[in-house]
Amino acid sequence: MKGQYFAGVDIGSTMTKVVIMDEATLASVIGPTGPEHRKLANRVMEEALGRAKLAFDEITYVVATGYGRINVPFADRQITEISCHARGIAHLLPEVRTVIDIGGQDSKGIKLRDGRAVDFVMNDKCAAGTGRFLEVAAESLGVSLEEMGRLSLEAENRVEISSTCTVFAAQEVVAKLSEGAALADIIAGLHEAIATRIYGMVRRLKIEREVALTGGGAKNIGLVKALEARLGFPALLPPEPLLTGAIGAALLGRDIVKEAEEKGEKLKISPRRLTEATLFT
Amino acid sequence: MTEEKKPEEKKKRKTATEAAGKIGPMVKAALAENLRAKEEGKPIAYSFIYSGYDEIIRAMDIVPAWTENYAGICGVKRDAQRFLERAEGENFSRSLCTYALCGLGFDSWREELGEMPPDPPWGGQARPTVMLGSGQVICDPRYKWYQAAQHYMPDVPVYVGGLPYPPYEEDYDYREVQDYYVKYIVEELRGLVEFLEKHTNRKMDWERLSQVVDISDRTWNMISEAYDLRKAVPCPMGTGDAMNTMVPMTFMMGTQEGLDFFKDLYDELKRKIANREGIIPDEKYRLLWGGGLPSWFALTDFNYFNSKGAVFPAEVTYRLVEPVYNLDLPRVSDPLEHLAWRWVRYWTYRHDRARKRPGSTPDVERLIEYIEDYKIDGVVMHEAFSCRSWHPGLIWQLNQLKRVYRDIPSLVLESDIVDISSYNEADTRARIDAFIDTLEAVKSR
Amino acid sequence: MPEEVAGGLAAADKYYRDYGSRARELKKGGAKIIGYLCAFTPVEIITAAGLVPFRIKGDVNEPITKADTEMETIVCPLVRSCFDVSLKGKYEFLDGIVIPHACDSISRTYDVWKYTLNLPYSHFIDMPHGTGEPSLDFYKSLLGTFRTSLGKFTGREISDQDLKEAVGLYNQNRAKVRELYQLRKASPPLISGAEVTKLLVAAVSLPVAEATRLIDSVIKEVKQRQAAPAKTARIMVVGAEVDDIAFLDLIEDSGAWVVADDLCPGAREFFADVAVTANPVDGIAERYLRKIKCGRTFREKEGSYDDYLEERFGHIGRFIKEFKVDGVVLYIYKYCDPYGFDVPAMKSYIESAGAPVLYLEDEYSMSTIGRLRTRIQAFLELIAK
Repeated sequence: MKGQYFAGVDIGSTMTKVVIMDEATLASVIGPTGPEHRKLANRVMEEALGRAKLAFDEITYVVATGYGRINVPFADRQITEISCHARGIAHLLPEVRTVIDIGGQDSKGIKLRDGRAVDFVMNDKCAAGTGRFLEVAAESLGVSLEEMGRLSLEAENRVEISSTCTVFAAQEVVAKLSEGAALADIIAGLHEAIATRIYGMVRRLKIEREVALTGGGAKNIGLVKALEARLGFPALLPPEPLLTGAIGAALLGRDIVKEAEEKGEKLKISPRRLTEATLFT
Repeated sequence: MTEEKKPEEKKKRKTATEAAGKIGPMVKAALAENLRAKEEGKPIAYSFIYSGYDEIIRAMDIVPAWTENYAGICGVKRDAQRFLERAEGENFSRSLCTYALCGLGFDSWREELGEMPPDPPWGGQARPTVMLGSGQVICDPRYKWYQAAQHYMPDVPVYVGGLPYPPYEEDYDYREVQDYYVKYIVEELRGLVEFLEKHTNRKMDWERLSQVVDISDRTWNMISEAYDLRKAVPCPMGTGDAMNTMVPMTFMMGTQEGLDFFKDLYDELKRKIANREGIIPDEKYRLLWGGGLPSWFALTDFNYFNSKGAVFPAEVTYRLVEPVYNLDLPRVSDPLEHLAWRWVRYWTYRHDRARKRPGSTPDVERLIEYIEDYKIDGVVMHEAFSCRSWHPGLIWQLNQLKRVYRDIPSLVLESDIVDISSYNEADTRARIDAFIDTLEAVKSR
Repeated sequence: MPEEVAGGLAAADKYYRDYGSRARELKKGGAKIIGYLCAFTPVEIITAAGLVPFRIKGDVNEPITKADTEMETIVCPLVRSCFDVSLKGKYEFLDGIVIPHACDSISRTYDVWKYTLNLPYSHFIDMPHGTGEPSLDFYKSLLGTFRTSLGKFTGREISDQDLKEAVGLYNQNRAKVRELYQLRKASPPLISGAEVTKLLVAAVSLPVAEATRLIDSVIKEVKQRQAAPAKTARIMVVGAEVDDIAFLDLIEDSGAWVVADDLCPGAREFFADVAVTANPVDGIAERYLRKIKCGRTFREKEGSYDDYLEERFGHIGRFIKEFKVDGVVLYIYKYCDPYGFDVPAMKSYIESAGAPVLYLEDEYSMSTIGRLRTRIQAFLELIAK
């Protein structure tokens, strides 16, 4: 497989991630997803190629994943983030059997066996089990999202937030603040609430160790601790939790190319062009 | 229920009557009794309230475990969430009956551990000997819940008997069909007796059954007469208390203890009326709880209504009896036949009346009857999101009431019976306040 | 008598898209149309009365608005949609409505349907949940009441002969559907899941003999087809009522074939016949109460728990083998009691029958169906060999 390079493009609802790999990761780019997925895909790909010092036609195979995967015109294959996260974790943390991915607007649980996804659950309907929940609450409290995790760890007397609806919870925290509850205690309560929602969803898979946390939520120390408390044991974190999907996508691309070579099959490759996509392509 | 909540929120609901105040300890004692009975090897039957089986269960000395009640207790103690989550973890949809979700979550946990889940409310619920569902019109969980529970307790037998009643229709009268309804019910009740004899090693004592049925008839009368006393102005007992007194009505039907309870309640209400003692000293608005199960964890809302001068002299929910002497029952010697006739006549009681008012139905007639007899100013309905049996039809009933009778002020509250995450106290209180304003405006016209 | 449209898939498409068009024509020609919900309505009796039974259908593309003023939102979304489009005048040709006691969502809203639509005829069949002898006897009595009631409405008693003829027509119809299903066993199947659903939905909007001719014409057309492209997986969809092709399109657009189902309209209602009995009501009662396998029917457990699961879900296991199913999608609506409570037992049974299961909860609306795309694609990736 010398001289072969694989790209994984993960367009999430909040963040877009691109990874270029050969045996190891050569370059990665993380940026916010805006509304224009196609332009964005082109731009981050360009940036990644620049960092990897590669020309686009040197890329053997491109796999797109994530919410916006259908908007990557130069992708050779679209694969769901479930398969990609599974493949990524199988590579990064082979002992993991359950993955919990907490994104900006959705969350998922994935069960692995022998490095492959065998079952999954998703929540993309209700904000209450996602990063959005904390975002809305942070706004109501006048705290920056980045600080939420750290602040939650300072709680001495965690407040219970009973509303599972993001909007009601935001009302509830404001009410509790005016009643005199400490900010850290409230924030800890919010983390507990979101951890409960996520745990409730993932347990449908019959959780097995080791458990890995991925996605933006895994970078929130407060949420990690709250989830570990629910699990009853520590969770593993990949070095960069946001890149798991893109890494998995690139690796699946490598698997596909390898299988095609072994079978002597020719693969369909998209034009290696990063031109502006028009409405009619 | 006069329950203590978790340490952070010590909100005791005040009861208007002493009778209602006895309920908390009564329920707690009954649960402890169940656990003891289990240890002694007595047969325990998971049961639904008001399924028509009470007299048979009591006559055979079988211990009923009221699973809806246990879920209600978890709700009142605000400790239902972990059981609901467990059920969701088993792939039961959150949109199903939250009593069932709570029960299924609890049972699957108990079965997995081989013992009670940690720190269970009031000692928990023991593994049953049999589970008695019912296929009557009341609701789907009554034939699905225990079947689903059997997935976690495959060796526990389930009985589902049908107790339907003639619907109110234009193309025929209930008298044309009641005979085959009664025949069916008798056969299903007989089937229940056979099932219980087979699986509990108890034999039915038919003499005893006749006696139990007699107590139950007299209890129906006693309850009706006691509740009729609430027509008084000022009203001595409200729906909040009735949500407590439903306990002996549904958990102890057919027992002397149950009958005695309502005799005591009757006497207490008579005393209060003689002393002109109302629920609140300054009664401004009289309201009808027109339908819907209450939020068990938010019974303090009734106190909130009271604080605004509003009382609830009457409710439809859990008023599950009529005076037996009004039901025009044929004289039969077989107690099962008597029960069947009582069931069918209870449910067809207002059919004739509805026919006299175009567009009306028996449910609407009942609302009208209470509005007139109890001098009602406004109607409150509660939509519990997980209960598809009592709640569909409430909006329509309210609309139809206004169409065929009069435009009476009304309020629709929304949350759930057990799932506290559905309840928004601030929003509920705001709605109540707005409703009080409406009532005041109508009164001062 | 108004002419029916020439057959084949084109006709099925027309009747599906312009749902009720044939009923409207027949009404103009003097026929009386009786709307009904659910596969548990005894359509044999309605047909025997000389009336045309018409299955009321919802619309996933129509946001529910009018229904909310009279019907609670905690009711099954399909029932709500049916009520909503009825209120919006889609089925203005109806002369009556018949509703069986299927589940709470259907039975507890009967009054709302009856009084709001205010049709000349309405009837509720209080079908029991049990399947024992007393339940069967009771159900026969209910059918007798229904038969008498329809006779009063039409002014003519329904004779045993009328019933026997109707039974014959429906048995032929169901046999024709079973013949169609055989074409799905091929690899790849000769007809897609979306096409089958579209055809069956169209069929239940037509008088039974016309429906049979339509299905027959489709069988002939489809047998002429060249082999379709091979796809990744053979999927079976299990659920309550699916009267819209949107969900099936979603699966088949993702690269799989839907080759089998346990749905209505679908295998559930077409794989059970009415036995020909001396008293025709007996065979009809037996079919609806005992033969149709649906979560709203409570079967008693005899034997072990595994035997019980086999009794309740064995037909799914058989289809998995006969149709060479690679994966099963459990497609259950939110607020569905008969199926919601069965999910753990069904999932467990199907997995032990050797097929992976994807459990989806949906709300019968195009806006919610779209988000199922990723789940379906992920499932297909998971089960790919």
